[in-house]
Amino acid sequence: MSAGGNIYKPLKAKLVEVIDESPLIKTFVLIPEKEFSFGTGQFIELSVDGIGEAPFTPSSSPHVKDKLEVTVMKTGYVTEIMHNLKPGAYMGIRGPYGRGYPVEVFHGKEVLILGGGCGLAPIRSLLYALEHIKDNLDKVVLCYGSKTPSDCIYKPLFSRLNSIEKFEAYRTVDKAEEGWNESVGVVTTLLNKVKVNLGNSLAVVCGPPIMMKFGTIRLLEMGYRDDQIYLSMEKNMSCGLGKCGHCMMGEFFVCKDGPVFTYNELRNTPDIWK
Amino acid sequence: MQYLSIKKEEWDKAIEQLLLSYTIFAAAENEFGIDYEVVNPSNISRISYNKAKPATSLKTFFLPVRENVTSDPSLKRKRVIIGAPNCDLQGLRLLDEIYLDKDFNDIFYREKRENTILISFDCFEKQEYCHCTAYGIKPWAEEVSDLAAVRLEELILLRVNTQRGQEFLNQFSHVQSLMDENAVTETDKSHIQAESLLVGANKGLPDYMATGIIVKNAGEDIWKKYSARCVSCGACATICPTCTCFLLIDKPGFEKIKQMDACQYPGFQRVAGGEDTLHDLHNRFRNRYMCKYVWKPEKFSAIACTGCGRCIEACIGKINKNELFLELAK
Repeated sequence: MSAGGNIYKPLKAKLVEVIDESPLIKTFVLIPEKEFSFGTGQFIELSVDGIGEAPFTPSSSPHVKDKLEVTVMKTGYVTEIMHNLKPGAYMGIRGPYGRGYPVEVFHGKEVLILGGGCGLAPIRSLLYALEHIKDNLDKVVLCYGSKTPSDCIYKPLFSRLNSIEKFEAYRTVDKAEEGWNESVGVVTTLLNKVKVNLGNSLAVVCGPPIMMKFGTIRLLEMGYRDDQIYLSMEKNMSCGLGKCGHCMMGEFFVCKDGPVFTYNELRNTPDIWK
Repeated sequence: MQYLSIKKEEWDKAIEQLLLSYTIFAAAENEFGIDYEVVNPSNISRISYNKAKPATSLKTFFLPVRENVTSDPSLKRKRVIIGAPNCDLQGLRLLDEIYLDKDFNDIFYREKRENTILISFDCFEKQEYCHCTAYGIKPWAEEVSDLAAVRLEELILLRVNTQRGQEFLNQFSHVQSLMDENAVTETDKSHIQAESLLVGANKGLPDYMATGIIVKNAGEDIWKKYSARCVSCGACATICPTCTCFLLIDKPGFEKIKQMDACQYPGFQRVAGGEDTLHDLHNRFRNRYMCKYVWKPEKFSAIACTGCGRCIEACIGKINKNELFLELAK
């Protein structure tokens, strides 16, 4: 929760490391001034002092309380300034906010995860959480797509996942470069390789809007029910508190009712893919 | 209804006395109409009783246009606001639900709410676009305000709506029970007259629920037609007693400024990646009505349009939402 009962006041966090993930994506390792807990899939508001604030879902394990990792793509004004920050700087964090992934629902299931681009950030946190309960899971399959091999983030993650029992990870790129010997094509093409036990499977989709749209359509074609598909929605969550109105999507405040929704909850909401 | 009474002369003196311990705002008539003024001994006599709503909505007192929300929330002086109409008080119910919710209680809003005594006025008149009754709201308050006041010639009649109102009234030495049956009858008559005036003027206007249904089912054409005169100035949202959207602006030292915002402004929902659900003018225009009549009712118990009509008055494109609803209801 926010400091001193003031919901608008950020908690300071020291930036201790900046990891280059791709030409446009960096991971910021932060040590908050107070212990900070979050549920996987929940988001925080991360601010650059005096510049601005933007919502991100931490990419680190929800079981680590003294350190927080946030993966940021350089997209706009605030993120560009974030990318220039050096270790030692202080950032502000508010949150955690919203409804994350319902990890308890995943017990006993197999989980099919579809990720695209920087959408792998929340998924990495989810994968840590799933690894934590792997004895209670049937299987975890990650299908990840990026534009090119150099846009692929968390490169060591894939070999590590493939070494964990019950975990499988596949990658594809839209456009291959020399030396790439994995799949080429949009992320949904990876689904042809995957065997699922539909009756006991849950799917998670996180990525750019266009990928979320076609990923969901493909999952529905495969036979997934609306309530078996979890979507992590991205809107302009400004306050994170269900008050400022910027993230309203139909009757939902994405910041409070989401950001994780089942497709069943959103199927009648217009413009969800915009 | 039960009334207490106090002579107007004594009431005015009591207000002057209250100035020692409270900052007081009251609805007063000026050359442009009625609006809130900071009360001082010289304008107490201009407080305008029994009239329709002030130009500014009550929300401004609780949600300032700009506010540093990382500073000290405490009010320097307690406040009394005199002259709020019931439409605005019903709007305040929604603000309470949003800002005093159990998960994220806004201490800046709470501080102002807890330290403000509200004395409402009954409306015995209507302005051109008033339509509170269409949405089930009476032109007088029986809740939310602490006290409700009516002027009957040289007498002020008071209804006590809250315990806090009763305690506040204990500071007044000349308040008595109203024994004059005629005064009560007269006031009741004025209420009925005001209500029928409003009902008569808004015949055929769909009620709040019915408006939600027609808004939800309306096609794109009607939004395009009515938004053709919209210039995205946001006046409708700014003046609205229930529009509360805001923006947080960062200042050095991790300070945050909360500034009122409006979904009518371009870029309101734009994300850094460029996607913008409300990019098109007619979608922004529709959004405000969907929010008030369809989405808010699914989340909150308080009404999200109180029929004050200010958005119609304020629109420089002369867009009248009630004409839109009447066309949809055809």
